[in-house]
Amino acid sequence: MAGSRLEKFGTVFTRVRDLMRSGVMQSNEKPIWYDVYKAFPPKRDPLYVKPYTRVIVKRPDLVPEIFYKEDKVRAKFYEKYGPSPRVFELIKSSHVSLSQKFVDKYTELQSQSELDETALFNETAKALLKQGILLRRRGAQPTVSAVSADAVEKLNIEDVWTEQQSASADSAETQHGDTQTDTSPSVDLNTSKTTE
Amino acid sequence: MEPYLYGCRLDQDIIDLDQTVEHLQLALNFTAHIAYRGGIILFVSRRRQFGHLVESTAMKCGEYAHTRYWQGGLLTNAPVQYGPNVRLPDLLIFLSTLNNVFQQHVGIRDAAKMNIPTVGVVDSNCNPSLITYPIPGNDDTPVSVELYCRLFQMTIRRAKDKRRQMELLHGLSKPTPESS
Repeated sequence: MAGSRLEKFGTVFTRVRDLMRSGVMQSNEKPIWYDVYKAFPPKRDPLYVKPYTRVIVKRPDLVPEIFYKEDKVRAKFYEKYGPSPRVFELIKSSHVSLSQKFVDKYTELQSQSELDETALFNETAKALLKQGILLRRRGAQPTVSAVSADAVEKLNIEDVWTEQQSASADSAETQHGDTQTDTSPSVDLNTSKTTE
Repeated sequence: MEPYLYGCRLDQDIIDLDQTVEHLQLALNFTAHIAYRGGIILFVSRRRQFGHLVESTAMKCGEYAHTRYWQGGLLTNAPVQYGPNVRLPDLLIFLSTLNNVFQQHVGIRDAAKMNIPTVGVVDSNCNPSLITYPIPGNDDTPVSVELYCRLFQMTIRRAKDKRRQMELLHGLSKPTPESS
C-alpha cells in the first residue's frame, strides 16, 4: 500500500489527500478516518513544530501569573501570625482555614468601613477575637487556647487586646533578655507598646 | 502548551478548562465516528501506575491497548514483525504522551509517519504539535485518568451499539453516519 512517512511535512490529512489526488492511493484504499477528519477537523492543524534547542535569549513568559487582591492580606497575615497550628482537613470540601476566615472578614470590613490597611488589619483581628479565635503572633509563647464566645463577650475586648499584644511583645523580649515585666491590665494600658 | 494554559499560580500551571472542553468534545466525536465505522483503536500509555486501568478499559470496549515497552518497528516495520497483510490501528489514543524518561512517546511520531490519526491527553509538560486531536488536561492523577478512560469507554461503546442498531435496521448495508 502506498504511504508517505514524512511526519515533518504537512499534516496526516494533507499527505493522504495529496496521495489520493495524485492517484498513488486509490479511492478504495481511502483510510476510514479521512471522511471523519474532513467533516470534523481539529482546532489546530497537527503540523510538526520543531522544538527550540538553543535558548539564546530568555524568552518573555507569555503565561500570565494569577494573583488575587486577597493575596496581599494573606501575605501580611502569614508574616505576622506564621503558619496556622491547626491542621487543614482537605477531606471536608467545606473546610475554611484560619487565613481564609481572616481574609473573608477583612473583605467584609473593607466593604463596610473606609479605613486604611493597617487599621483594617487590626480591626479584623479584633473581630475574629470576638468570635472566639485567638491569633497568636509568630514566635510568641502559647497563650490560653480558644475560649468560648460567651466568656469573651463578658471581657473587655480592648483590655484583652492590649494584654495580648504586650504579652506577646514581652515574651518576645524574654526570649532575648532576662527582664520580666508585670502583665496586669492597668499597668499595660499605660505602658503598652504600640504595634504596627 | 502555552496557548492552552490559563495562567500560572505560584509556579503551578493552570490549564484553561474552557478550551479543554472544546478539544475533548472534538476528540470524543472523532473516536465515536471511527468506532462506528469499525476502526481499530489502540490505547497507548507508558505510565506504569495506570497500565492495568488502560488495559481493562480497552478490554471492556473490545479494542486494543499497548502499555508496555514500545518496540521500534511496531508500526513502521509491522509486516516484518507480525507477518504480511497486518491491519494497523486506525486510531491511537494516548492517555499519556510521555514515556518513562519524560520524552515524547515514539508512538506519536510513528503514527504520524504511518498516516494514522492520534488523540492524546497532553499535560503542561508535553508537546502537542504532532497529535491530531490533543486534549489539554491532567495525565498524572488517578482521578483524571479514570475520568478519561470512562469517557472513552462510554463513547466507543455507544458508537458500537449504534452501529449494531443501524446494521439491524438497514440490513447488512453500511449506512452513512449522520453528522452531529
